[in-house]
Amino acid sequence: MNKKRMTVLLPVLTLLAGALAGCGGNDSANEAQSTSPAASTSNAGAAPSGAPVTLTVEVFDRGIQGQPDLNNNTWTRYINDNFGKQNNAIVKFVPVPRSQEIDKLNVLMAANEAPDISFTYDSATVSRYAKMNGIMPLDDLLDKYGKDLTNYLGEKVLSYGVFDGKQVAIPAKRTSLAWIGMFIRKDWLDELGMPIPTTRDELYNTLVAFRDKNPGHVDGVIPWGLAATGMNYGTGNLAESFWGEQSEEDFVTTPNWLKPGNKDALKFLNKLYNEKLISPDFALDKTAKQADADVTNGKVGFFSANWDYPLRQNISEPLKENVPDANFVPIDTFKNYEGKYKKIAYNENGVNVFIPKSSKNAELAIKYLNWMSNPDVLFFLQYGKEGVNHKMVDGIPQVINQTGDNMQTSYLNLDYTLVVNGVELGDPEKNIKALAATAPGLKAVAEQSYKINTTDTYTGFFYDTPNESNIKFGKTLGDMSNQMTDKLIVCKPSEFDSLYDKLVAEYMAAGGKAVMDENVKIYEAMQANK
Amino acid sequence: MMLNLMAKGMIEVKAVLKRDFFLYFLLLLPMAYIFIFKYAPIYGVLMAFQDYNIFEGIGGSEWVGFDVFNFIFHQDSFYRALQNTLVLNLLDLAAGFPAPIILAILLNELRYARFKKVTQTILYLPHFLSWVIIGGMVYLMFSSGGMANSVLSRFGLGNIDFLSQKTNWLIMYTAVGVWQSVGWGTIIYLASIIGINKDLYEASDMDGCSRLRKIWHITLPGIKPTIMMLLILQIGRMVSIGFDRPFVMGNSLVSDYSDVISTYVYRIGIGSGDFSQATAVGLFQSVVGLIFLAAANYGAKKIGEQGIW
Repeated sequence: MNKKRMTVLLPVLTLLAGALAGCGGNDSANEAQSTSPAASTSNAGAAPSGAPVTLTVEVFDRGIQGQPDLNNNTWTRYINDNFGKQNNAIVKFVPVPRSQEIDKLNVLMAANEAPDISFTYDSATVSRYAKMNGIMPLDDLLDKYGKDLTNYLGEKVLSYGVFDGKQVAIPAKRTSLAWIGMFIRKDWLDELGMPIPTTRDELYNTLVAFRDKNPGHVDGVIPWGLAATGMNYGTGNLAESFWGEQSEEDFVTTPNWLKPGNKDALKFLNKLYNEKLISPDFALDKTAKQADADVTNGKVGFFSANWDYPLRQNISEPLKENVPDANFVPIDTFKNYEGKYKKIAYNENGVNVFIPKSSKNAELAIKYLNWMSNPDVLFFLQYGKEGVNHKMVDGIPQVINQTGDNMQTSYLNLDYTLVVNGVELGDPEKNIKALAATAPGLKAVAEQSYKINTTDTYTGFFYDTPNESNIKFGKTLGDMSNQMTDKLIVCKPSEFDSLYDKLVAEYMAAGGKAVMDENVKIYEAMQANK
Repeated sequence: MMLNLMAKGMIEVKAVLKRDFFLYFLLLLPMAYIFIFKYAPIYGVLMAFQDYNIFEGIGGSEWVGFDVFNFIFHQDSFYRALQNTLVLNLLDLAAGFPAPIILAILLNELRYARFKKVTQTILYLPHFLSWVIIGGMVYLMFSSGGMANSVLSRFGLGNIDFLSQKTNWLIMYTAVGVWQSVGWGTIIYLASIIGINKDLYEASDMDGCSRLRKIWHITLPGIKPTIMMLLILQIGRMVSIGFDRPFVMGNSLVSDYSDVISTYVYRIGIGSGDFSQATAVGLFQSVVGLIFLAAANYGAKKIGEQGIW
């Protein structure tokens, strides 16, 4: 009781002190405010000749072992030689840690130091900036300097970057729509004489066999490799396989936590964890480094991550070196009540590229993106030089993995090629063939994984009006969801039910309900307008 | 008469300035530092009363009065962060405060000077490690496949969830904190022990005091003012907590305990970009800290000790 009274008293005192502190600072704040627009206009019309202009471009730092200087490598030099020189500009890349993308961007934006070309995968963040009027509207600029870009992306892709009728972001075109994938060690299955699991129960039995028989003869076998929720590793479409029937409206507007059957999905994971079938310390693995190490050291039997995860250079190469026989194959094992392997896939848009209002080089930025949408440029950035970064087989380029200067720190350099996500050879059929060829020696795996993970898919619903509550609570709710998942997987089975209900209630109170209600409102308005 | 006095005062000030000009000149730099980095940013607390727009700045954002505080004081997560901050600090106070005192006394009793020096240096070392590194070390040693657990299981003691079970985590958090800071903390006490008059020890030798007696009746009372001062300062910091340690050591399984005000502010401010809320929480924290400090100081004076003002 006393403590309660105390916590009421303290805020009041805080306010008093705050009010006093508030009086002095106003003038200086106004001053700072009035000087800044003047400064930005005087620099806006930078001439094409004279001292070169520096165009800053964000790039993800994925912290990959052996990665080259992100601001000085084959790719950045190509960009500077072919775009920079012609436009009297120096293109400078600003690394942002992948796992703290939004945190870092918030800081850069608040300090007016965000790169001229910034991007994020989180569209709620873009909406937030747009709502605060911190992003450059791009309609006119695109008309003037972005013809090729507009043609390349097309209306549908661009529509994902419209906020309140204005083009505020330029979404990249996504050429491959698969999102998640699940992989199992085929060599382990063969050793045990077991078939590829095709249902949840079969997977469970397989995992138990992995645990008990340790087919890889490793120290500390991990049947299912996992990392803290929110990083690369996840649980695939396990939850979807538990979800029951819902109307379209309910399905798109309710948070996953409230979907019928979701509780059972977590309960299943909880059971697996308590039977020691899941990485014991996954929740402590906040950067997924441990999970990567476990996978590449051949300790993991099954995992779910992006559909191309085992094809990635940072996984495939060390794994091949450590365990030459290891063979991860894609599987579809979470069948739902309809007998389908329902799973999420991407919409046709990728990363959201935007130009902060503080940028003095908006025109140049659009020119840069416009230049990049040229097929030759894209081809070099994705595939590099023939004989060095790729070889041609039947007219399809095949990647040769490189180290050092020529290394690609992301899949086909997607962190540099901001207008596209996925192979771009100008022809969907070729793209898919090339896609399969991106991972040297793993062509079959790639083809199969793409096929599996583009079957029975649904995509995230696109609301034409931004959800204010989601802008406000989205990040907190996302973090909360991750924590909830980890907690529920690890808790004691006897405590599971009450913990689930308690956490979901907290989630809904912390903004989940507000987001859902607003979703319903927007959804209904959209239906009415149809 | 009045004017006369004032003029006289001015002359004195001038004389003093002239005499110690360089000393005052040296003072300029630290004063500039404090002004620029401690006072100037205070105008930023205005954000707590605004619907702060990062692009419009303080001048252009809408004034909302106490709305932000009102919102925060209705958030369960805020109270949890506040409570955790107090709990973790109390644990630090209980374990981390006496530890350097005891260690300083032990070090002081060491006879062999070279051994003492080496020991001290080793004890200081952890202070210079970044929490990120310490966090990595703790993870390597105490995760379920870590060193500690493999030793335990060799002896058939089974696995202990040092980092994911809540109580264990609290113990680990406190213990690692003590390990990191205890050596460094001894410096100030050792300095104060050296300041104790040697005659007292000699006199007690004459009277045939044992070592423990000497510690109890001479050393401890000798460093009591120092202890009190540091205690007041520590209590003043009760609501503020470093960011690195809980952030690095925490994980989703113990977030009910590891989410403290600093990580809350980080999450709301930097993570969600809601600078108004983050500032409001920060301001709240400062005010509560001030109250704690004043209370501790008042208490110290009441029991006849020297306060810090």
